[in-house]
Amino acid sequence: MAEIDARFVQPENFVNRELSWLEFDYRILEEARDKTIPLFERLKFLSITASNLDEFFMVRVASLKDMVHAGYTKPDMAGLKPEEQLAKIGEKTHDLVNLQYSTYTRSLVPALKQNGLRIVGKHEDLTEAEGAWVDKFFQDNVYPVLTPMAVDSSRPFPLIYNKSLNIAALIRKKDGEGEIDFAMVRVPAVLPRIVEIPVSEERVVILLEEIIERNLPALFSNCDIIAAHPFRIMRNADLSIDEEEAEDLLKEIEKLLKRRQWGEAIRLEIEDNTDKRILKRLKKELKIQNPDIYQVNGPLDLTFLMKMYGLPDFDHLKVKPYHPQPNPAFMNDDDIFANIRKGDILLHHPYESFDPVVKFIQTAARDPEVLAIKQTLYRVSGNSPIVAALAAAADNGKQVSVLVELKARFDEENNINWAKMLEKAGCHVIYGLVGLKTHSKITLVVRQEEDGIRRYVHLGTGNYNDSTAKLYTDCGLLTCHPQIGEDATAVFNMLSGYSEPLHWNHLVVAPIWLRKRFIRLIEREAHHASTGRPARIIAKVNSLCDRDIIAKLYEASCAGVKIDLIVRGICGLRAGVPGLSENITVRSIVGNFLEHCRIFYFENNGMPEYYMGSADWMPRNLDRRVEIVFPILDVELQQKAMHILEVQLEDNLKAHILQPDGSYVKVDRRGKMPVGAQDTFCGEAVLAAKKVEDLKDPVNTRVFVPVESPN
Amino acid sequence: MANHLFAAIDVGSFELELGIYEISPKSGIRQIDHLRHVIALGRETYHTGKISYRLVDEMCRVLEDFSKVMKGYRVEDYWACATSAMREAVNNQIILDQIEVRTGIKVQIISNSEQRFLSYKAIAMKASEFEKIIQKGTAIADVGFGSTQLSLFDKDSLVTTQNIVPGVLKIRDILSTIQVNKTQEKSVVEEIIDHELIKFKKLYLRDRDIKHLIGVGDTIMILVRKASEGDAPDRMTREQFNQVYDQLMSLSASQIEDTFGVNEGFASILIPSAIIYNRILQMTGAEMVWTPGIRLCDGVVTEYAQQNRWLKFTHDFEEDMLAAARNTAKRYRCGNAHVLCVENMAARMFDAMKKYHGLAQRDRILLRIAAILYGCGKYVTMRNFADCSYNIIMSTEIIGLSQNERELVANVVRHYQDEYEYDEADIRTAKLTAMLRLAVALDVSYKQKLAGCRMGVRGDNLVISTEYPGDLSLEAMTVGVCAGFFEEIFGIQPMLKQKRRV
Repeated sequence: MAEIDARFVQPENFVNRELSWLEFDYRILEEARDKTIPLFERLKFLSITASNLDEFFMVRVASLKDMVHAGYTKPDMAGLKPEEQLAKIGEKTHDLVNLQYSTYTRSLVPALKQNGLRIVGKHEDLTEAEGAWVDKFFQDNVYPVLTPMAVDSSRPFPLIYNKSLNIAALIRKKDGEGEIDFAMVRVPAVLPRIVEIPVSEERVVILLEEIIERNLPALFSNCDIIAAHPFRIMRNADLSIDEEEAEDLLKEIEKLLKRRQWGEAIRLEIEDNTDKRILKRLKKELKIQNPDIYQVNGPLDLTFLMKMYGLPDFDHLKVKPYHPQPNPAFMNDDDIFANIRKGDILLHHPYESFDPVVKFIQTAARDPEVLAIKQTLYRVSGNSPIVAALAAAADNGKQVSVLVELKARFDEENNINWAKMLEKAGCHVIYGLVGLKTHSKITLVVRQEEDGIRRYVHLGTGNYNDSTAKLYTDCGLLTCHPQIGEDATAVFNMLSGYSEPLHWNHLVVAPIWLRKRFIRLIEREAHHASTGRPARIIAKVNSLCDRDIIAKLYEASCAGVKIDLIVRGICGLRAGVPGLSENITVRSIVGNFLEHCRIFYFENNGMPEYYMGSADWMPRNLDRRVEIVFPILDVELQQKAMHILEVQLEDNLKAHILQPDGSYVKVDRRGKMPVGAQDTFCGEAVLAAKKVEDLKDPVNTRVFVPVESPN
Repeated sequence: MANHLFAAIDVGSFELELGIYEISPKSGIRQIDHLRHVIALGRETYHTGKISYRLVDEMCRVLEDFSKVMKGYRVEDYWACATSAMREAVNNQIILDQIEVRTGIKVQIISNSEQRFLSYKAIAMKASEFEKIIQKGTAIADVGFGSTQLSLFDKDSLVTTQNIVPGVLKIRDILSTIQVNKTQEKSVVEEIIDHELIKFKKLYLRDRDIKHLIGVGDTIMILVRKASEGDAPDRMTREQFNQVYDQLMSLSASQIEDTFGVNEGFASILIPSAIIYNRILQMTGAEMVWTPGIRLCDGVVTEYAQQNRWLKFTHDFEEDMLAAARNTAKRYRCGNAHVLCVENMAARMFDAMKKYHGLAQRDRILLRIAAILYGCGKYVTMRNFADCSYNIIMSTEIIGLSQNERELVANVVRHYQDEYEYDEADIRTAKLTAMLRLAVALDVSYKQKLAGCRMGVRGDNLVISTEYPGDLSLEAMTVGVCAGFFEEIFGIQPMLKQKRRV
């Protein structure tokens, strides 16, 4: 690989990835604070910031804690040692959490009240009638599932589950001067956290922990409750070390495994007016330090807001649901294979429906000419029609191979269940590869046709998950290009443990070839620019934190390549820094749909190349995963891809621009037409579908088509 | 259906390979799928002479999987061949049996010359340029894992092919037993190779001008791809080769992996292989290297398609085999008009007797080769020359002949002179022997008197009629001598008939 100029890899040229990630959460929070957005959508955004933060702690902060315990002091690309990173993260997270809660209490709760939904924040605020209803609800539904636990000299401090919501209380025996004891009860996860109180015209909700707190005396009947507060902890309980870390770190940690503190508490969330004695006790028992304690002014664990979003009858406060439109290429009576044979088809989800992809596999499963179906699956929805179709295909005697990635975070169990199901149905199931995650999204259908074997391939930027396909923006290519078919076959052969193919036609596969290819593509643009030829890079990724790629982008920028990056989340690159990255702009789009597709454009001296794929510009994607990046070869589809990029670059409603100082600001819209990329795509998809629909309408065509007997 | 699906399996010295092919008379052969699994059969055979059970087990697992893939594609037929590692393993019969019992796949061991001939057929199939390339002096170098094969073309047919002992795996193993530094390593390998090449050069390259080298095998492909960096990735000039060669020699093993994009296993054989090619290029003086990128599986499918008459070749492979045989005959000073005449007689006799001998078309070629080579032993001794001929044939590679076929040809030649041993040879040998004897008898005078004769079966007689005006009593006598045996075998009596011109 080509050398990297040392001047570009100075620590000051990079942003620490965790801090950049927190910036991303800030951007989502900004959406929650945006009064122009429908109220319930704002609830959703706030909920997302909270669940994001949870995952961030469980994975990233936990990992940094491990490093500190292991005595690992190697600085990251921005020159920060793990301990320094933790300190900065703590500081920034505290600010973020404060902003979350001020958004909730000062802005959202009053606004909800105005719109007819009262949230009872403290059970003390309940009216008498409401109180009575709540108490009855407690007796009937909650009491039977509670397990109160008191702590005294004979009973040890109970185990507190990771991420569980609990109420801590101080109690004293009613008869006399006895000692004050610590008691605890877990808020049951089996009951919904939001309880609606149907006693008046007004819509009123209260959180379950408040109901329990109000009824604590019923749990400790011979005691006085002196104080009671909900709290929540997060533990470093992840059994695996995050794959994103460098290999030398993994070795280091393995060596020092003994020193690793399993299950240590890494975050404590608790109300800000908590009784000092309770706090002190928790600190002692959980061995947690002040920087890791988050005292908040409002309900813990804001993810309940996602449930709140689902409350019935508030549709006028939500964005009108968008229905994915059919892609015009499929709006005819031909079967899916015939349509693909007419030419490559690029799907843009969720603007265009994911149905063709599901149908692709379903049709293949039934089609007598189909010999084999091969697919990689990663994070599939629970009762996926795709999984059902694969099982049916195996049943129909097709050769079905499925690579199931079990290492997808947080849903291992879910994965194993349906993988077993597939295996029973007769599919050949590969449970991932040793040491690598399979992140590529590819499906291959081999079909025996009149003129020989033909291969149909679907390549995507997003998972084969029909539910997330309605929320994530992704691209997918359906093609029967023979060379891509050959490559797809080779990919599956490699995934089955066979040697790499003698050569690749079009697909670029990580972890072996992808990094080199990207570096070469960037270098090529730099070369074009420095020789005065047209050069430009546009890349849309979710994260950009690979040191070498960033350094090469700096190099290209200095050579005069104009580089526009659309990076949703983490961005370790500094944009617009004189002498380093003047020619680079970075924007992040946070909208109703989660931006997820990866598109890469290289101008290449007027012979542009377009790529899409499953990989971000992160070390883990380039080095530790099986990823596929595929070119868009069809000129018409290249235009469609370019259009996607152009509209995103024009967005001035949801786009945040990265400043040289590392902050993000929204686009200055003065004097410009407002452009929202996601809205634009929605509108265009509806229009395109309607156009075809209209063409078929006999009223417009003025031709009557007689329906013949089906035989 | 017009298309046929076929699977070719190569149980090689370094890899197990499965190729799935689609053959259609219209568009030729297309590879649909290609699986490779690296397995070090060669290393074990070359070291211990045997293949261990551990590898057999691994091999069976992979072949079982191959069999599933074949079923998945619903292939009509398959051929599985094993090459040098398996051929040389003393326990190969046990292993083949194991494989068949466990996987249902029948693996056939093929001889070196068959193997090379298959590759060579695939080369000829691959490119329209092939015919053009071989118009100029061309050599094919197939640097394999077990051995290296060098073949030469003259005009447009193949004239000789020689198997030169060390292949890259063997060289790598030799190197691992002696401790040398990098430059020494290079010269050691060069010496090993030169040891073989110098003889080859003396014998075969004296009056040939080699312009093109066709390179077969993975390693040369990697080198070519590196040299061409994108454009025309199937050929390179001598200068390009030199550049890549120098670069390769300056790199460490791990750098080779990075620079050439290969894994560790390949990196370790790239150097010996490049040295072999370098020496071959220097020796032949070829200016251009062409790598058609074919593999044994491609050859297998080509052969299969040809046998089924689904494909036609523009190149005449039979002519190659005959040319190689004639060239051998020439080397032993028996490539004269007599031999030509005998070959011709034999072929015509074969055709005339078609209904009565019941032999396959393939036997015709064997008979012609036997006719060409029957007298080569005379180079050694005039008495009992047939035994010498037998030995020469047995130790000469005739491209395209399997081990069995070579043995058959040798036996036919031996029995030409020796008394026929009834319990030793099979009926096929007997039939060919009878025809060869008669063919030689017809030109016993070495004067090609019967060159223009006609042959045909009438009743119980094979009538050989000629308008030759001169004396034929010697011929009549010799025909009479072989007639007994001929009749015994075919139930047909040869009869020489001299028509007088009126």
